[in-house]
Amino acid sequence: MSSLEKNNSTPSSEFQGNLEILRQTYFFSSLPLETLKIFAYLCTREKFRQGEHLFRQDEDDGQAFYIIDGRAKLERTDNGTTTEIRDLKTGEFLGGLTLLGETRRLFSLKSVADTTCLVLNRGKFLKTMEQFPNLLARICNAVAQSIDTWEDRFLSDHGAQCGECTSRLGVTLI
Amino acid sequence: MSKAEIPIVKRSLFSWILAGNLKLQLLLLLIIVVMVMIRVLPLEMQKRIVNEAINLRSIDKLLLYSGFYLAAVLFFSVLKYLTNIIQTLITQRTTARMRKDLYHHILTLPLNFFRKTQPGTVVNALSTELTLPGNFVGMAVASPVTNILTLLAFAGYLFLLNPLLAAVSLSIYPIVVFLVPLLQKGVNKYNKKRVDAARKFSARIAESISGIHEIHGNGSYRLENRKYDALVDRLLKIRIFWSLYRFAVKTSNGFFTGLGPFLVFLLGGYLAIKGRLELGALVAFLSAQERLFDPWKDLIEFYQVYQDGRINYDKTMRYFDIEPEHEIEPKDREPLQLEGSVEVKDVSFTTDTGINLLDAINVSLKPGEHLALVGFSGSGKSTLALCMGQLYKYTGGSIMIGDHEVSELTKKDMINNIGFVAQSPFIFDGTIEENILYSTMAQIDDNGQGENNGKPTLDDIIAVLHQTGIFVDILRFGLNAILTHDQNEELVKMIIRVRKNFQQDFGQDLADYVEFFNENKYLYYSSISENLIFGTANEEEFADINLCRNEYFLNFLNTADLTRPLLSLGVDLCRQTVDILGNLPPDAVFFEQSPISAEELEAYKILVDHLKKKKLHELSSKDRQKLLELALRFTPGVHKMVALPEMLETLILEGRALFREKISVDHPNAITFVQMSEYIYSQTILNNIFFGKTTTTNPQAQESINQSIIQLLIEEDLLETIIEIGMHYQVGTKGDKLSGGQQQKLAIARIFLKEPRILIMDEATSALDNKSQARIQNLLETRWKKKNTVISVVHRLDTIKNFDKVAVMKAGKILETGTYDELMARKGMLYELVGKK
Repeated sequence: MSSLEKNNSTPSSEFQGNLEILRQTYFFSSLPLETLKIFAYLCTREKFRQGEHLFRQDEDDGQAFYIIDGRAKLERTDNGTTTEIRDLKTGEFLGGLTLLGETRRLFSLKSVADTTCLVLNRGKFLKTMEQFPNLLARICNAVAQSIDTWEDRFLSDHGAQCGECTSRLGVTLI
Repeated sequence: MSKAEIPIVKRSLFSWILAGNLKLQLLLLLIIVVMVMIRVLPLEMQKRIVNEAINLRSIDKLLLYSGFYLAAVLFFSVLKYLTNIIQTLITQRTTARMRKDLYHHILTLPLNFFRKTQPGTVVNALSTELTLPGNFVGMAVASPVTNILTLLAFAGYLFLLNPLLAAVSLSIYPIVVFLVPLLQKGVNKYNKKRVDAARKFSARIAESISGIHEIHGNGSYRLENRKYDALVDRLLKIRIFWSLYRFAVKTSNGFFTGLGPFLVFLLGGYLAIKGRLELGALVAFLSAQERLFDPWKDLIEFYQVYQDGRINYDKTMRYFDIEPEHEIEPKDREPLQLEGSVEVKDVSFTTDTGINLLDAINVSLKPGEHLALVGFSGSGKSTLALCMGQLYKYTGGSIMIGDHEVSELTKKDMINNIGFVAQSPFIFDGTIEENILYSTMAQIDDNGQGENNGKPTLDDIIAVLHQTGIFVDILRFGLNAILTHDQNEELVKMIIRVRKNFQQDFGQDLADYVEFFNENKYLYYSSISENLIFGTANEEEFADINLCRNEYFLNFLNTADLTRPLLSLGVDLCRQTVDILGNLPPDAVFFEQSPISAEELEAYKILVDHLKKKKLHELSSKDRQKLLELALRFTPGVHKMVALPEMLETLILEGRALFREKISVDHPNAITFVQMSEYIYSQTILNNIFFGKTTTTNPQAQESINQSIIQLLIEEDLLETIIEIGMHYQVGTKGDKLSGGQQQKLAIARIFLKEPRILIMDEATSALDNKSQARIQNLLETRWKKKNTVISVVHRLDTIKNFDKVAVMKAGKILETGTYDELMARKGMLYELVGKK
């Protein structure tokens, strides 16, 4: 409450900035303010120099990222060939599923310009959720809906051009 | 400590009364007998004072009898005090023994038991539940003997004085014995109703408060009020009846005991008037009559303690009355040295409720073979590993290790031959070193003197640290240690040398990750006090923690116009931190980035309350001191809940110069200022090497920092010294100051150090990064294969290619067993699993 009443003359803290970001992120936005404050406090801002990896394929780094500033390239390497997937830009969030459970990265993310990210790791996330066990359902719901929206959009945009992959469609059915 | 003792859970409460307390109880008994005799003496003296001294007007006799009276009272008090001491001794010793024995028993109970039991239940049983039984044991001899003997002595004395009067006045007690329990039944009945009603009442409140938005939304205040009021009325009625019965018990007790003297007066008075009773006897009679009540009351109280103590004791013991599944140690032989072969035949594991977790499992391993158990979660692979390690007791079939059946081995046989790394290993509070030695020391300790020389050397330990990859972590702990002035001058010199090399070799490269100490810059990763003082205190009063009470420093803050802005920063910090962390448990995770420690949180919560009611200048000096203390700790790079106002930053930088100027004149030796050629004792070893502080928690950056530091430490031959310092790092409760990966590495390290003949790993590397995982896998393949048997529950299928055998499990059954290549060629279950990945 006190933070809302604060006057505007004091400089805004990193914590308040983090809170704003989390409130706009699908993964966190359904949580009550009290819980969001804790996450905003636990998040750290990390800088990655151009060319540094945010995470690497096959590793379980257990972190979620929000790109505050900069650009990063998503890649996947199969049998020695690296394919560029797409670029991630300022304002994108990724890694929600990583927070929920152990998963190995299927992609690598490499910064292509100096990049600043808001980072939260699984340890901190789960420790906090232990305090609010009821809220985990809200997050699961957000994730389920997000996956559903993703596949729905994928089907309507690209469903027709899927070709061979058609038989593997249906990630929402897992 | 005899081993043939009955287990504590089978012992009756009464067995504690004499066991171990025999001498004390006998002494107590002796004292009591003397006490009771002394207690009657004052009555006799009363009678004689009236009859002989007063009647015959003899001052001598008055003094004599009064003297006896006084002596009796005095002696009685001394003895009473003595009995209290002995009783306390018995109570406390018994409670302590119960606590120890029960704890020892509980630790041996099967794992299964603990899945259904909350730690709180065990804590409660060991702390509160055993208090009353202990009290009972302390009272068990003293109370009934004292009170019954006293009652008998008084009654006997009354009969001696006048049998008729004695009979009449004692006739009240049978009525009390009959009536009071009857009324007590009523009390109990209404008490039960009261508890029920109170529960409903609480549930009602909880429901309406949690649904308050609905009540507001519907405006259903009256509706809810009616429901609530009805419950209150019911509770009111029950409570009145309950109280009526309770008072009835009290009043009737009082009435009947008050009736005693009335009868004595009436009948005794009549007899005295008629000359059939001496006046002195009447006085003694009244006195004795009054004193009858105390032992009577004590007896009833004792009965209550007995009832409560017995119920608590029986309940507690019944709860833990479970047999350990395996003997802890062999009785008539040495612990076995087992062969490394494992033969699992038709093993099944069925829960109490009849669910088959394992079904007809068959698998065999020769000594030194490695087996991977794979399958989905819930397929039973962990359960099978736990059965092989004797942590679960399989319910059917046979598991042979060497030529011994696992279920028939004692724990000690297993511990001597098997090492187990659990899925989420538990790290106990203490140092890294204690935890690394945990398994080895447990084994040595268990084996008595014979193998005392089995304690690993530092070289052994360091080898294992490298193997498990925890070396770098421990190095970091060591580097984060703060040296004291008296510690190793040589080391300090070497670190300064390392610092210079670091600046030369890596200064440029790591500039992004380190904030170097610079006299002219504000340091965002140092606290405000560090920014101001910019050096190490040589005098205690200038140490960080004492600054907010140091007059000289406080005056300086005033001169530098810093007091007010710092206090208001303190207010901001305090409010924000309490707002964010106010309701969180004292976990290290939550408090790492907080200027308020978990222990201080309560005090700062109170301070926030004060801040709501008072203005800054109205606060007590103690509160202001706390705020200042908080502000001085503020480190903008770490404590992100508040921003550092630009104005304050400028003032602090100016303050730094001013402080240096002033203190150099006033207390020239108080501070050693930060400079390249000096060791900074207030900083960690790492910060001393950096001559600055790291600004990143990014793992890759950490890695490149580690690499450069290790290189420098090797050059100076300092690596081992720093590791030794790091080994003393305190890991916190449940190891909460370690990351998940560090905990796993530590758990693997402690088992590697033990080097068991058979190693069971239950997803033991799941929290490790690829590199560490590969390192451990590689080690198992090169150093352990053909030597030590390994059973590994694996969740990452890329690590299983070189296992001798892979068993794929599903729903409690092994579907296929073979080498990786065989199974992949067969295109069965493993093929499918790998494909899915």
